[in-house]
Amino acid sequence: MTTTAISDALYDELVGILGPDGVLVDKPARWNRTRTPAPFPVHRWRELVPDVVVLPRTTDQVAEIVRLANRTRTPVVPRAAGTGLTDGATPMRGGILLDVKRMNQIREIDLVDRTVTVQPGINMLKLNEVLQPHGVMFPDDPASYPCSMVGGRIGTSGWSLIGARYGHTRDLVCSMEVVLPTGDVIRVGEGGGRKLRKASTGYTLKPLFIGHEGTLGVVTEATLELVPRPQVEFAAFFGYHDYQTAWTSTGALAKSGFATLAGVVLFDEWKLAYLRRDDEAYIEQPDWLKSVVAVAMYGNEAEVVPAAREIMRIGRESGGTYLGDEVSQGDWAARHDRYAIPLHGRLRSGEVVPMSWHCEDAALNYSVLPQVREEWHAIADRYIREYGIFDDWGMFAYTNGAYKPWGDYLVEIDIGIWEQKLDDTNWEAWLACKREITEVTLKHGGSISACHGASREGDVEFVPTELGGGFEVMKKVKRALDPNNVMNPGKYLLDRAYQGDQEED
Amino acid sequence: MTLDADNDAENTAELSREFAEQWRDPAYGCFSSGHKFCRNVCPVMGVTQNENHSPTAFHANVVAMGQGDLTVEDVAADYVHCTQCGACELRCPNTLMAGDFYRARTRTVDVVKAMRALAVQSGVEQPRWKRWVEATVDRRNEPVLDVPVSQDNVGRWADGLGLPVGGETLLFVDCEAAFYRTALPRAVALVLQAGGVEFGLMREQWCCGGPALEMGYVEQSREFAEHNVADWRAVGARRIITLDPHDYISFTEDYPRYFGDEYEFEIVHITELVAELVREGKLTFTVPVERVATYHDPCRLNKRKGIHQSPREILRAIPGLDFRDVDHVTQWAYCSGAGGGLAIEKPELTAAISAQRLDRAAQLEVDLLVSACVWSERPLAAAGEERNIEVRDLMELVAESAGIEVTT
Repeated sequence: MTTTAISDALYDELVGILGPDGVLVDKPARWNRTRTPAPFPVHRWRELVPDVVVLPRTTDQVAEIVRLANRTRTPVVPRAAGTGLTDGATPMRGGILLDVKRMNQIREIDLVDRTVTVQPGINMLKLNEVLQPHGVMFPDDPASYPCSMVGGRIGTSGWSLIGARYGHTRDLVCSMEVVLPTGDVIRVGEGGGRKLRKASTGYTLKPLFIGHEGTLGVVTEATLELVPRPQVEFAAFFGYHDYQTAWTSTGALAKSGFATLAGVVLFDEWKLAYLRRDDEAYIEQPDWLKSVVAVAMYGNEAEVVPAAREIMRIGRESGGTYLGDEVSQGDWAARHDRYAIPLHGRLRSGEVVPMSWHCEDAALNYSVLPQVREEWHAIADRYIREYGIFDDWGMFAYTNGAYKPWGDYLVEIDIGIWEQKLDDTNWEAWLACKREITEVTLKHGGSISACHGASREGDVEFVPTELGGGFEVMKKVKRALDPNNVMNPGKYLLDRAYQGDQEED
Repeated sequence: MTLDADNDAENTAELSREFAEQWRDPAYGCFSSGHKFCRNVCPVMGVTQNENHSPTAFHANVVAMGQGDLTVEDVAADYVHCTQCGACELRCPNTLMAGDFYRARTRTVDVVKAMRALAVQSGVEQPRWKRWVEATVDRRNEPVLDVPVSQDNVGRWADGLGLPVGGETLLFVDCEAAFYRTALPRAVALVLQAGGVEFGLMREQWCCGGPALEMGYVEQSREFAEHNVADWRAVGARRIITLDPHDYISFTEDYPRYFGDEYEFEIVHITELVAELVREGKLTFTVPVERVATYHDPCRLNKRKGIHQSPREILRAIPGLDFRDVDHVTQWAYCSGAGGGLAIEKPELTAAISAQRLDRAAQLEVDLLVSACVWSERPLAAAGEERNIEVRDLMELVAESAGIEVTT
């Protein structure tokens, strides 16, 4: 069933590289490798499908595919789990969708120098199942821990729930093998080292290949950090009468200075109202509760046990009421599963409808959180009233800095969108809402994205504004590494790097 | 195109529209969250790593059909890649966290069955399933491999046991067991006798109809059910004992849908009954079984029906057995690959899934894998042979430890 736009010649060459089992041109294969979990323009699905899907197993195969793409000027879009929230793995120009799920091998577990080397299609939960008997773990712990994959984590520069203690994805990659947009294969790490954590030789290239959303190549192998499995995971949830006190308490906890602090999370009253209303697993709390702060500590018993006593003191002295072990341990343990609670929302009438979920992920400083919260909710409220397809599921703020969790926060407003009602008008309404949210972020000195990336419509228009001269450098880098604009073209407005070149091609 | 062909095409399009409308909201329940936790427990995805075969795709396709982007012809072949084990439904955060609240538990197995039925109705048939169901209709029993199958020999496994026909309690013996693994139903019958359970056999036992339904052949499945229920009623049966988890699903899920409130039978699975006999002291284990064993949770018992305690209770009661258990939640990701017709259309995938299961058993350094699903045992045993791990049914072990000699 060949129902694709690619030429027979290209198809034959791809089959020559991968065998027939590794090249898919059927419609379901293409349709199921483009959408992303949250607001996806389902009414325009057909405009966003690739022409062909490839399932490589090796670096050599990836390199050959990318060289072929260069020769034929065919777009290539890498995709790992497809759970990203900025459409990095959604093709904008058709072409070859490079699905890395068959690149799921663990190459080496090095317990002496404490690294694990993997292919990009492995999931962290699966990886840690294998690592557990060795007493070590790979501590990248996003909400999507049971489903996202190492390749996508690197491609988006992900954020980890326990990043304050162990670092985020970018802090956990020692080195990577990258297939560049021309098909050349390089290893980037610290200097030329494969398992080094710090070097000063040459340019610091590694960060360039983390968070590029597939625009600068494909990671085909990564050597990752291993940490000792913590002897103790401590979690405490505190309740507050008002947001302001909870915000103050969050600051006090985050600034406590304990190295074992894994993260602090602030829930606002809209979030609590949402959980009370629509979360089956919500553990009943008293009515006076308007805000919650969760704090977690990971590490050795000798460190965590005395530190936890101090954390309990700080939480209480700053106005918090301990909510008990059931909430503290249960809700923390369920943090990955609860990530998916958004599924249904409510119209203003109270009617329950299936809704997809926009999860804002701005990076903002601690000082501006109360103001941003008010402005964001006001925006959401206007759009809810005007369009009747949105719902406000409240806000979280998570400590954002690796090892230094006090200065800035990943700030999330969760907005439900009734996907079944999406058409051009409602999609434009959503984008207008999203743009207003982004403008607030930038006004307060924040960044559009702490962890998802900013290549999605509604965000990406503001990237040149946010980055200023940095965006000019991005274009130069893109053009230098990807002369034919084959890697994920259209993303991050990087077509602008080639403007005026079209004739030469 | 002829007029008939036009009509057929219009009919198919209408069926597809109705289907997409019917399954729209459940499909959006998955599509709108799209977290894909299911992928890591899906036995088929585990071996193909092809997103076409993911439970998420099975729902998303319905959305795409509703958008007019995909048709049943486009997707039918993908829906072969499912054993209907139910792991995805359990692992789904919607089920875990919000499903009861909104009465929106994820129903991937039902979606797969419905899509397969739509495919058959639309004339998009899988060749091996088609032949299998035709042969089943022809012989009234499944054409299990390597043995002659006919209505004449469906009861031959019981030769010499002197079992009565009819009675209040009937033992329903699945096709694979009745024709191929005849030692198993003999062991079950002798165990029941030893435990003092009075039971008889059907006058004329047909296939339960479950496999046909799983492959999308709804009408044929219904015919089998009608026959069996009529046979049960004719002999005054009230209680049906199953030894195969697939039958247990048919009798507790499909049949009640067919017969509604009039369906009056109590359905008991053998592991539950035997555990009770052991608990009550009516069956005692005296012969030590000096083996190092682990237990394979059959998908339809563990994931579909929540039966995982009784087999463990039985195994723990067997003297001499070094039982190395893997908890039933971890086993959500385990499967033999034999269910849902996969072994008929895609035997190579069944073999790969069984191989993966035996690799996990091998890590426990066992010499025996105990299952409680006769359909799982053929592919598991083939994979076990390469790893020097024997595969046996729980009831065979029960008979051995109870000192019952199973003659053939």
